[in-house]
Amino acid sequence: MDITTFTSNKRFQIWGISLLVVLAALATLPQWVGSYYVVLLTFILMYILITVSWTIFSGPTGYMSLASAAFFGVGVYTSAILFPMTGAVLPLPLIIVIAGIISFILGLLVGALTLRLKGIYFAIFTFGLVLLIQRFLLWFEMNITATRGRFVATLDNNYIYYVMLVIFVATLLTAYFIRRSRFGLALQSIGENEEAAAHIGINVTLVKVIIFAISAVFMGAAGAIMASKLIYIDPYIAFNPLLSFMPVLMAIFGGLGQFYGPIIGAAVFAYLQEFLKTEFPFAYMFTFGLVLVMVMVFMPSGLVGMIQRLLASLKEGPQEKSTPSWTLIFSFLFGILGGLVSWFIFRERRGARVHLKVGGVVTIIVIAFYLILLLLAYLGELRSGYFGI
Amino acid sequence: MWKIIKKYALPLSICLILLLTVIPGCGDEEEEPAVTVPVVTEPEVTEPEVTEPELAPGQPDDYYTRENIVIGGSRPLTGANSIWEEVGFGPIYKMWIEQVNADGGLYIEEYGRKLPIVYKDYIYDDTSDIATMTRQLERLMTVDKVDFCLPPASTASLFAAAPIFNKYEYILLGAEGGATTIMDMLPALPYFFGTLNYSDRYQIPVFADLCLELGIEEVAMIWIQDLHGIEYSGVAGVEFANAGVEVVMSKSVPPDVSDVSLLLLEAQDSGADALCMFAYPDQNFLIIGTMIGMGINFDAILVGPGGNIAAMPGIFGPNIEGLMFEGAWNTKSAPGAQEFYDLFTSYYDPGIGDWWGHILYWGGLQFFEQAIVEAGTLDQSVIRDLMATKTYDTVLGPTWFDIFGDGGGLLAIECHAGEIGQWQSGVPEVIDPPNIYGAKRTAPPIYPKPDWPVAE
Repeated sequence: MDITTFTSNKRFQIWGISLLVVLAALATLPQWVGSYYVVLLTFILMYILITVSWTIFSGPTGYMSLASAAFFGVGVYTSAILFPMTGAVLPLPLIIVIAGIISFILGLLVGALTLRLKGIYFAIFTFGLVLLIQRFLLWFEMNITATRGRFVATLDNNYIYYVMLVIFVATLLTAYFIRRSRFGLALQSIGENEEAAAHIGINVTLVKVIIFAISAVFMGAAGAIMASKLIYIDPYIAFNPLLSFMPVLMAIFGGLGQFYGPIIGAAVFAYLQEFLKTEFPFAYMFTFGLVLVMVMVFMPSGLVGMIQRLLASLKEGPQEKSTPSWTLIFSFLFGILGGLVSWFIFRERRGARVHLKVGGVVTIIVIAFYLILLLLAYLGELRSGYFGI
Repeated sequence: MWKIIKKYALPLSICLILLLTVIPGCGDEEEEPAVTVPVVTEPEVTEPEVTEPELAPGQPDDYYTRENIVIGGSRPLTGANSIWEEVGFGPIYKMWIEQVNADGGLYIEEYGRKLPIVYKDYIYDDTSDIATMTRQLERLMTVDKVDFCLPPASTASLFAAAPIFNKYEYILLGAEGGATTIMDMLPALPYFFGTLNYSDRYQIPVFADLCLELGIEEVAMIWIQDLHGIEYSGVAGVEFANAGVEVVMSKSVPPDVSDVSLLLLEAQDSGADALCMFAYPDQNFLIIGTMIGMGINFDAILVGPGGNIAAMPGIFGPNIEGLMFEGAWNTKSAPGAQEFYDLFTSYYDPGIGDWWGHILYWGGLQFFEQAIVEAGTLDQSVIRDLMATKTYDTVLGPTWFDIFGDGGGLLAIECHAGEIGQWQSGVPEVIDPPNIYGAKRTAPPIYPKPDWPVAE
């Protein structure tokens, strides 16, 4: 028996079983958590699937697409038109499929027009697309339909969650199989050297356009179901430019090197946002900014890359003497974890408000402690020449 | 590296564990009941377990344990709408809670005592994002289980929030926001009670009547490309037509407009008697500033949101003389207006005052408070029914809501403290035509508007 195949199969089995367990847990979640957590998880799934969709194309090719908000917004508006509060024009599953198809067509058109552009030009064009559609719809609503925003029919939270879960699974499967397919390899080679890829016979433009359009499908579908959660939409709400930047940040936060990097990145990022907004509203932007800066500086390969390297270090000792410094990363990660754990401990007793304050104080002290640790370790490493400077 | 980690991490972790052990203890000590619970029988010394007194019929389950009323809210503490938390409903609800607590709290009959209001830990930042706001409302209502929930800010947020409040049967006392669109939905939203006046309720019809009274025949409109602009320009088109006033120019501007000089020249060339600015403070201030700079004036100028803020005299000085604004109230236009103004200025800098919504928010909260006290319960459906049927005396005088079908309501037009204001000698005056909805006029309008003093 070929040992490589065996290992590969075993790994595949382990991953498969783990994923099934996670999926089963997600599928039964509404049975054992409250309504808010279902809503929260729906949003987290939405962010993950948008991030993964973004990564399908932009991850391997290195093309920075900022069109996510456009595809999502198209889905939102499809739902607003076909699933208004006054009564659904079509069954919802069909509307979601239509939203996906419209996004796919938009992706094809945009891809065909723009994928000859590279680097910053492509990024600016895709972002311009978001603003273009937003302003066009605004003009259309004002001058043609005279609509003052649109109301979308509301749905049960669990229903929205399950639909999102289905789209989420479809996104993951698509991303996984594209990555493992000839298309994935072609995208990889395009990302490494586009001219070389063209020389070896890859139809570079066709591959890029098709994958770009496929990645748009899931964003459109997600927008269609999330419209029912937004309830009231207008062009500014549907085509929120922030949604173009979030998947980029989330993917980098998690790490683009591995398939599950953007998944973990989006999940942690989305939850962190929610946690900070509700628990530390006035410190939200500061803390969030600090976390982002530190991740970019100390974890250039993202959360997953850092964990992988840390595990490798634990097994075999430090592999290299250059940045990122493991002491710094270890301290930083431990600080965040310590903070989160202490918050969870005290959050359980939130009924008495005094505990929340104590919990907050403890959280700050924990993070402060590990920041001191970070500083000391940093100074120690400087002294020992660990950075090689 | 591992030496360094061992050197620092281990002792610090031990300290941390000690700290984590000690601090919760301190927390427990702090957690003494703030409010004494009435009629609790002392347990027998020999009794091994503490028994709670039996509940009398009609007493709620938490009769002995409830210490306060919890009010939460998803408010724009940051982001584009944060201005409303600073100078809109924000200062008003905080002042109301402080007033209630200074009086010992709200007397709730079924608890037989006054219950103070707590809110600070339950005000979440929606970052001016509607998706975040909807999630936070679900959290407040299903996880935190607050007793009452404050409204979000902005018309779009109110629209998105209304079905959530309705679903969980929480009363939504609307503050910043309102639009004609909501009226179609109100029959299906029994928990919605809007307080703010707006375009066709009843600012623009009043302005159209004012045009008739003053002899304004032609109007130019500049409006922002969003819900507000569409709403106001649309209503104005209808109302001006009904009043026989001709719209000679109607041009929209994007929210990030930076130059309006050409538009103003076009408006001047149109020969309009009046200019209406249906936009937000950023654009309105830009338009006013450009008009002053270019010396362009009209016989009447109606300023949208921003024209009503108390900081106007500080921003434009004597140039505000004769500017009309949407709103509107002053210390003479409602029975308790002077008293409210004195209270407000005892809490805050008068410069953050708002001559449009503040008095309506305050009147709405006074109404809400009386409904809660009369209901004698925290049951929202009971309070809602009272709000839909009762008239209470507030700072606005006798106050009630117009109910739409079996659904929610909007503050009755007769209860508004005015619709159109005008800056006269640095003071806001209400200039609604007399004999309209209770004759709120506090001064005759200045017409035509004087030239810009700086341009003279």
